[in-house]
Amino acid sequence: MGVKKRISGCVAVANGVKLADVDVICSYPIRPYTGIMSELARMVADGELDAEFIHGEGEHAQLSVVYGASACGARAFTGSSGVGVTYAMEVYSPISGERLPLQMAIADRTLDPPGDFGSEHTDALCTRDQGWLQGWSSTPQEALDMTLMWYRIGEDPRVLLPQYSCQDGYFVSHILGEVEIPDAAQVKEFLPPYKNHHVLDVRRPQIIGAQIEPAMGPPLQYQRYQAVEGARQVIKQAHAEFAGIFGRSYDPFVEEYMTDDAEAAIFIQGAHAETAKTVARRLRNLGEKVGVVRLRVFRPYPTQEVRLALSKFKAVGVVDNSANFGIAGSSGVMLTEARTALYNLGDKVKTVGFVGGLGGEMITHDEFYRMFAKLKEIAKNGKTDRDGYWLPFEL
Amino acid sequence: MLEDIKTLRKAPREEYYVPGHRTCAGCGPALQYRLVAKAAGANTIFIGPTGCMYVANTSYGCGPWAVPWIHAQITNGGAVGSGIEAAYKALIRKHKTDAEFPNVIVMAGDGGSSDIGIQALSGAFYRGHNLLFICYDNESYANTGIQTSPTTPYGAWTTFTPAGPVSPEGKKLFPKDLPKIMSHGHPELKYLATASIAFPVDLMNKVRRGLNAQGPSFLYIHAPCPKGWSFPSEKTVSIAKLAVDTGMFQLYEMTEDRRFKVTYRPKELKPVEEYLKLQGRFKHLRPEHIEKLQNFAQRRMQEVGIEITLLSS
Amino acid sequence: MSFKEVPFAGTVPSPKRENEGMVTGNWRTKRPVLDKDKCTDCLICWISCPDACIDQSTTGLAFNLKYCKGCGICAEVCPSNAITNVPELDYAD
Repeated sequence: MGVKKRISGCVAVANGVKLADVDVICSYPIRPYTGIMSELARMVADGELDAEFIHGEGEHAQLSVVYGASACGARAFTGSSGVGVTYAMEVYSPISGERLPLQMAIADRTLDPPGDFGSEHTDALCTRDQGWLQGWSSTPQEALDMTLMWYRIGEDPRVLLPQYSCQDGYFVSHILGEVEIPDAAQVKEFLPPYKNHHVLDVRRPQIIGAQIEPAMGPPLQYQRYQAVEGARQVIKQAHAEFAGIFGRSYDPFVEEYMTDDAEAAIFIQGAHAETAKTVARRLRNLGEKVGVVRLRVFRPYPTQEVRLALSKFKAVGVVDNSANFGIAGSSGVMLTEARTALYNLGDKVKTVGFVGGLGGEMITHDEFYRMFAKLKEIAKNGKTDRDGYWLPFEL
Repeated sequence: MLEDIKTLRKAPREEYYVPGHRTCAGCGPALQYRLVAKAAGANTIFIGPTGCMYVANTSYGCGPWAVPWIHAQITNGGAVGSGIEAAYKALIRKHKTDAEFPNVIVMAGDGGSSDIGIQALSGAFYRGHNLLFICYDNESYANTGIQTSPTTPYGAWTTFTPAGPVSPEGKKLFPKDLPKIMSHGHPELKYLATASIAFPVDLMNKVRRGLNAQGPSFLYIHAPCPKGWSFPSEKTVSIAKLAVDTGMFQLYEMTEDRRFKVTYRPKELKPVEEYLKLQGRFKHLRPEHIEKLQNFAQRRMQEVGIEITLLSS
Repeated sequence: MSFKEVPFAGTVPSPKRENEGMVTGNWRTKRPVLDKDKCTDCLICWISCPDACIDQSTTGLAFNLKYCKGCGICAEVCPSNAITNVPELDYAD
């Protein structure tokens, strides 16, 4: 059995990395994810974790260092926030293309401008189509568990893909929560050593990342596509085994809260889901038929599970905590992807986008009340008069 | 320890950069790659940032290395090399591999070293990783069709520095001096040298000294490019030799005492014009431009301690 | 090339002695020919070949025409003029 501690999302992730016995870590400071690296640096300095701790000269270097390390068979970890995430953009595709299952933690932060430290999912969502697995946790406990879970899933020989383990900056990264830190024996049972069959080893020389002739392009991209798609099965399996070993269970893809007989629901990812749940619970006490569906895995997008979860409502409000300018539906990526998942059901479920919490602002209880009120109206009238609302200006 | 090669006859016969690559006929960078690989031997991992030596060597999903090779972006050779070095250190220390610590060699072009890749190079050297970073300098972005890089000489034609009525000399700027940038300011630096394909034994020995140095080592190799410099393919080695004999390229090394030691002094220094006139990229130059290049060569030679006694042309 | 023939992530084993994925001998317009009487076995041509196409055999130096691109460096650097570049059209093969 593990021990319970009150720790932040950053410290929780660092504990996950330590338990995973990571070999190479590459850091560069940027708020708010920096807390993960400070804690790891302390663990290395105190002899709690045996790893090469490398000070990258920037996020681009961070991703490049772990690319090289993972290609030698080392378990590697890095992380970033905000513009740091986008600065490293060049290196994400080579990492997934070479099928290197390293992990990057992202504690969300706005891109510049606005030049602030606040949380927004915009940074991590920019990376969503780079061939990585990607998921969001909403509590420090989940952040620790996702660290272990992603290594296990990403390193599975059927998958071999890198992973973004995302958490909201500050709302998760810097707020203390009660976390059960598993013991090493449990982790050993859950997470086998990293073995990749194509690594740099002079005893079995290989050429990794050669240029190709055009005819090799489609099948190589199709390989990566199949790996991401195929990860769904492994994600389910790993979650089941995780529950068995650690005694904590998560719905692998979508978590439903008070959705039985609900007519309207908020569809959301990350920490703001916790606020939405509070409001939904209060509305339930008042007799309103409302619920919350929280997306846990963004890549591979759980199309079937989202369709199944959302198709039972009359109205769904999709919350985007990211800035998207000029996007279809004038809202955000969460809305466009949810609508794609629902498209074949026709007009049965009315969807509307809510953009909120930008620049790191809270999405307040009051705002969620207004969103639920709008959904109630849509459910009653059976129609929407617009695609999306930017809060607080338009709703 | 890799031993010094005393004579050409003692050079290893084994090839680790084998026949079968799409580099141009007479490619200087290909020749230096072969010499580096030969000197380093079987226990070597190459990191290949984007550049000619990636594009022309690996097309069609294969490559000519008999040892492990991995692609890096043109930006990040130093950082990928750092990760490979760190991984082997960790895996060996934690008994997760029984492999020997390998020679880690980053083989970057002048763009991947002196321009877009300089940040990763400097970062790796600052941190003290045990790797050899080689800049093979063909003085341009060549695989994209000959565009100026920071090491392209003053006066050279490239597709981005064409000579015309407004800029009669073509390139107006003098080149970055990369070995000097690397030689001071990185406290962990263990070895630095310049080398030329016209001096193969010297080149191979400098590779070995760099690998033996157990820390960041930098090798700057002059590698003429028939296509980019416009000269016939058979002239590659002769032009490399002329670069040294005119002082346009200087051969030296630096060990931990941080002093330049000239490793080859031309017996009779020739005027730079003899080097320039064999290359189409300089054919538009006027006497005043050539004079500037002559002064440039003399300044560079003086900086490393080559005394100048110029033969009159 | 079909889907099944593409290796995992495009990773391929390193070649041992030659890279048969890129045979370059057919680029050649001139063929190096060695005059063994003039050759002093100094090995300057051997070390100067960018394509590692000069082999040291028991009977002297030999050109690997499967890959030789005909750049002419070997003839140019030979101090004893023992190598000649002969037009390929002079050969039947």
